[in-house]
Amino acid sequence: MLILFQILFILFAGFAVFNVISRKRSGLLGQRAVFFWIFFWILGVIVVIWPNSSSILAAYLGIGRGTDLVIYISLALLFFLVFKLNVKLDSLNRDLTKIVRKDALDNNE
Amino acid sequence: MLVAVVPAYNEEKRIGSVIRDLFEHVDKVLVVDDASTDNTFQEARKAGAIVLKHVLNRGQGAALQTGHEYANIIGADYVIHFDGDGQFSTKDISGAMQHMQEAEVDVLLGSRFLQKKSNIPWFKAKILLPLGRIINNLFSGLKLSDAHNGFRILNRKAFNKIKINQDRMAHATEIPAQIKKYNLKYVEFPIEVKYYEYGQNMAGGFKILRDLLLGKFLR
Ligand SMILES: Nc1nc2c(ncn2[C@@H]2O[C@H](COP(=O)(O)OP(=O)(O)OP(=O)(O)O)[C@@H](O)[C@H]2O)c(=O)[nH]1
Ligand SMILES: [Mg+2]
Repeated sequence: MLILFQILFILFAGFAVFNVISRKRSGLLGQRAVFFWIFFWILGVIVVIWPNSSSILAAYLGIGRGTDLVIYISLALLFFLVFKLNVKLDSLNRDLTKIVRKDALDNNE
Repeated sequence: MLVAVVPAYNEEKRIGSVIRDLFEHVDKVLVVDDASTDNTFQEARKAGAIVLKHVLNRGQGAALQTGHEYANIIGADYVIHFDGDGQFSTKDISGAMQHMQEAEVDVLLGSRFLQKKSNIPWFKAKILLPLGRIINNLFSGLKLSDAHNGFRILNRKAFNKIKINQDRMAHATEIPAQIKKYNLKYVEFPIEVKYYEYGQNMAGGFKILRDLLLGKFLR
């Protein structure tokens, strides 16, 4: 029997995968990113439906509980994504500056 | 040819008189208006400066780099960074130029601490600037008495070598770092800074640190 949380999570994962695919269609996501995110959500669904699966892996890695493992991985992933976003934003900022500068220099004479 | 580069953001009240004073000491005045929302552009034009306009606000560092590139185009021999808010004194310019040529250096960096000329607010003098100095020494490896001083003179070699990537205030640490990296010769020179009101605060300081850390990952 699925409990309510599991149903909600599966619905959400389905929605997320749908989102990934429609982004791929409009060319906003590359092949690698698509595979990563689909894999990620499938993994999530597996762990939510069979909580023991994460415990087995956790025990293998020497971490006490399966939920801890999930939290560690999620946190690491979040930090990594935030970092990447920050770096990306900074490089966008630099590109923007270059354009603004070129415009300023070109429009003087 | 000595060109003053004046970064300006919403300085309509003071920019005109700063430019007029500058003309007594430099050959050309270049104002980089950083998408000001007031009449900085018109006031600067009226006072006779060349005015370049950023269509979006990109920060003081970005404005200085724009100034360097323009100075290169018009074949300037020296650029002087000069704040548009009237805090610097144009009287320091001739002495600084003379000192720079005698010392045969590529860069002259103004300092508020070599001599006690400035009435720096207590919190800024005793807490913000010392902290900033530690961070600067850490990141740039150049020991300066006053790293965060916007008064600088660079010769052609220096302003063409140095590329300011830090758009906002962290350029104050980036410039010494590049002076060291490119082995440019430099001296510090005592100048006066007047304080009317508060510019940057603690939050600004943390933003600079963030920019510096992030900048380490970008090339
Ligand atoms: N181009 C540009 N110039 C700026 C910007 N913010 C400030 N400035 C200019 O940079 C100069 C110095 O700015 P301040 O805010 O006084 O900074 P500061 O002198 O380091 O700080 P204080 O020592 O507290 O006065 C002035 O001429 C400002 O108009 C900006 O976003 N873009
Ligand atoms: Mg100021």
